[in-house]
Amino acid sequence: MRKFTFGLLIVLAVLLVACPSPATPTPEPQAETGGQAEEGMPKEEKVIRIGAAVSETGKYAREGQDTRQGYILWQEWVNNEYGGIKVGDERYKVELIIYDDESNPDTVTRLTEKLITEDKVQFLLGPYSSGLTKAASAISEKYKIIMVEGNGASDSLFERGFKYLFAVLTPASRYTESGLKALADAGAKSVVIAYKDSPFPKSVAQGAEKWAKEYGMEVLAVESYPADIKDATALMTKFKDLNPDVFVGAGHFVDGVLLARNAEEVDFAPKAFMLTVGPSNPEFVEELGKTSNYIIGPTQWERTMTWQGQYFGTPEEYAKRYEERWNEPPTYQAAESTATALALQIAIEMAGSLDSDAVRQALLEMDVMTFYGPIKFDETGKNVAKAMGAIQIQDGNIVVIAPEEAAVADLIYPMVPWNER
Amino acid sequence: MSFLQALLNGILVGGFYGFMILGFSIIWGVMGIINLAHGEYVMMGAYFAWAMFRQFGIDPLISAVLVFPVMFVVGYVLQWLVINRVVERPHLISLLLSFGISISIANIYKLIYTADYRSVTVSYAGSFQLAGLTFPTVKTIIFFAGLLLMAALHLFLQRTRLGKSIRAAAQNKEAAKIVGIDINRVYAITAGICVGLTAMAGAMIAPIQPIFPFMGPLFTVRAFAITALGGLGRIPGALLGGLLLGIVETLLTIYVPGTGAKVGTAVSFLILVLVLVTRPQGLLKGLRPVEEGA
Amino acid sequence: MSRFTPPSASENPVRRYDIWLWVILVLLAALYPFTQPTTARLLIAIQMFMLITLASNWNLIGGMTGYVDFGHLTFFGIGAYTVGILMTRSGEVIFAPQLSFWQAWPFSGLTAMLFALTLGAATLRLKGPYFSIAMLATLLAMREIVRLFTPLTGGGGGLDLPPELNRIQEYYIALGLMALSVGLMWWIRNSEFGLSLLAIREDEIGAEMRGINTTLHKTTAFALSAFLTGLVGGFWAWQNTYIDPDVVFFEPRNLEMIMAAVLGGLGTVWGPPLGAAVLYWLREFFWNRFLFAHLLGLGLMLIFVVLFLPGGLVGLLQKGRVTSVLDLWRLQPAHEEET
Repeated sequence: MRKFTFGLLIVLAVLLVACPSPATPTPEPQAETGGQAEEGMPKEEKVIRIGAAVSETGKYAREGQDTRQGYILWQEWVNNEYGGIKVGDERYKVELIIYDDESNPDTVTRLTEKLITEDKVQFLLGPYSSGLTKAASAISEKYKIIMVEGNGASDSLFERGFKYLFAVLTPASRYTESGLKALADAGAKSVVIAYKDSPFPKSVAQGAEKWAKEYGMEVLAVESYPADIKDATALMTKFKDLNPDVFVGAGHFVDGVLLARNAEEVDFAPKAFMLTVGPSNPEFVEELGKTSNYIIGPTQWERTMTWQGQYFGTPEEYAKRYEERWNEPPTYQAAESTATALALQIAIEMAGSLDSDAVRQALLEMDVMTFYGPIKFDETGKNVAKAMGAIQIQDGNIVVIAPEEAAVADLIYPMVPWNER
Repeated sequence: MSFLQALLNGILVGGFYGFMILGFSIIWGVMGIINLAHGEYVMMGAYFAWAMFRQFGIDPLISAVLVFPVMFVVGYVLQWLVINRVVERPHLISLLLSFGISISIANIYKLIYTADYRSVTVSYAGSFQLAGLTFPTVKTIIFFAGLLLMAALHLFLQRTRLGKSIRAAAQNKEAAKIVGIDINRVYAITAGICVGLTAMAGAMIAPIQPIFPFMGPLFTVRAFAITALGGLGRIPGALLGGLLLGIVETLLTIYVPGTGAKVGTAVSFLILVLVLVTRPQGLLKGLRPVEEGA
Repeated sequence: MSRFTPPSASENPVRRYDIWLWVILVLLAALYPFTQPTTARLLIAIQMFMLITLASNWNLIGGMTGYVDFGHLTFFGIGAYTVGILMTRSGEVIFAPQLSFWQAWPFSGLTAMLFALTLGAATLRLKGPYFSIAMLATLLAMREIVRLFTPLTGGGGGLDLPPELNRIQEYYIALGLMALSVGLMWWIRNSEFGLSLLAIREDEIGAEMRGINTTLHKTTAFALSAFLTGLVGGFWAWQNTYIDPDVVFFEPRNLEMIMAAVLGGLGTVWGPPLGAAVLYWLREFFWNRFLFAHLLGLGLMLIFVVLFLPGGLVGLLQKGRVTSVLDLWRLQPAHEEET
């Protein structure tokens, strides 16, 4: 009996210990909190606290790392070079609090809640992936905290009527727009689409279907596949039989590798092979070698694009800065993360205030050009100014082929079949 | 498309599944342990092939041979030091233990290799034509290598002294002990062989699958299903279960429009539940009496 | 096997006081919101209460009855989708007005229970690992089935629930559900019903021969466990404001529920809650200090518990001593039965 009493007391102790004081915040180690100006300093430095929950482990570990590096790059720039965000006549340093959300939907809500109510952040930057952004944005909406995000592309994010959620990236439904247009112009007549059944790829696929029809192509088949697919040869065999001009595969990086490999295996060689997420990443080329050649992919941003922004200069200048800091070339996920933070900064400066509603108004009125491209939000919070680009891997290089104003090379169409490389 | 081509794809995918899960089936059949770290051995084999390819330009097929002794040692030591300690316990315990091993291995690999996706590009990655059908080269190689290894393993179990001890240990442990078989050693050797074989399969799939630290669980789940479907510890059972799953998934994917791949996955698991309920010993009678596995 | 067997009721014939400690604990927890905690802390507590409830429910079928359910999250998912569909889609799909959370919530438990009754009729006839596999397969099939019924479930795109997010209200719901579930487990454990379940676990054929209707008993336990798990699922969907197959059928949650029960001690009343609380706390601990390797830490911990604490934390407390690591290491495990 006494043992059980003891056991219960332990339960009690653990419960009580766990409730009030878990998880002392561990701010990102590299994150310099430029605003440590307390008693000793001659002049009091003002600080803006901005928070984000970004995956460091779990399913989105890889993409989360790009997001995090993009955020930190902006923070270091704004604190050390730019001298802090201008609010009216004053300069505010940025304190950026980033936690690891483990790619876990429960963790992301808990951390968002914590950032708002305990760390008292004034603004939030988004996590990686549409699913996590959905859970997190419901909380920021409730507290009327502005969340600017650059890594949740699913269109359904902006159909919930949220007022405080803004996204700098082009939404998923427009991912394939410029790529399909270029292909239609080159003479492609028919399309097949395969997508992983989760929010972002689904939006991409719905968009692809719409654009294909709009540009006068016939959609021969739309197939969805489960998230835990291990082999897609059956799917590819099915498509091979339909003999389409264009294949569009919507998924994440890992699906891109699998789909390309399996298409090669069953010799499904359409005239154009388009994949989301993977091809614009240099690692995709490195790992897939010659198989990756001629694959087309949508891209939010590439270093060869010709934008010119007030901050960070051109995409190439941004890329150099990024390489210097992180010793690897930036992916577009990194660039859009930096742009996310930059958009927030510009809005705060326009508003001249830290008040959520004033900044929201500024975001709605914003119409700027950045290194990432134009940013202009509509009522729902989507960036409507920026079109999606398209790249093609040509001879191991990632080159922009569409839209025309950003293109640096011509589309190679049709592609060389797998077995003739 | 010809039905034959669809069937061929199904058979090759099935052979790939069968080879992949062979080690899992035998460990389960011989020791009654459901090894949830199985997929991690596949992953280790795949990373081995990738690293050899990157470092020395060694072809994955050669790596597949090289990886066997390395992973034999890993399997032997893990079994000797850790898993042998729970063989006698209820199956939940060994499940949880191997699950712990699974998470640990995956996360150690994440620390070493990062979470990036890897792949190996070989010159023969495409396909060849034969009798009007398209054969994916790598899967065809895997299929025949798998058949060959299954035959070799079958001979080993039937003909050699060690193989006979392994079967004896599976069928009646107490009797095996009485006739002087060192059960711990037999188990460790069995584990070594199985882990080695699994890693071989892993090395061979390096050219056709994305390689990343968390790729394992998907293979483990398939292994679970196929083994239960085919019958524990039986080599033909692994092949039969693999083929059944491969063919069902492939045909459904091809012939159901729009959602075929999802229907395929759902149906293959429903078939598993159905087989379990109506014929719990699997389609072929297993190495080990069913009640004892509990 | 004897060493693994958790303490059975007969070892502690008289224990009626522990439930009062539980009541006091719950009452104390009910006062917590009055200390003006931040909502983040309330949310931490809510999530921990949910894990405790899940672990405790799983223990009813997995620990007490001995049917190790590897797919219990199926019922969580069914509950979540019931609430999700009734709150958002019922107007279009089922010809009924859209329901509020309070109207929809009870259905989440009921549908889960109905599903468990149907499924259990087939799978509960299976023994040992076969039951575990059948349940896991059900879970994996269910995740794809949910995707197939896109008009109803939103498929892979998921469903957006109206975000209400009143953390104080949620706190009391989670606390109430937890208090109820754990209290129920206590009652079952001390009742004739619970003893029958234990008898089934130890020796099902023997129990049958002693005149226990084993089918009825285990089906009841399964359905009850599914009912409560479905309620947790429904509640989870509401407080997360968004569901899709990947976040609902989230494997780590399935695993944590089982791990918590094992860590605490299978088949005991207080083990799973204790295990869940410790597990949750530990995860926070690892998350904080070993950001890069927190899952590795959990994996190693699992290995450790299985090897050295087979009776779980409650087993440890009851024995009053830690089984020496070295003692265990010296064992020749495969011969252990003979000695």
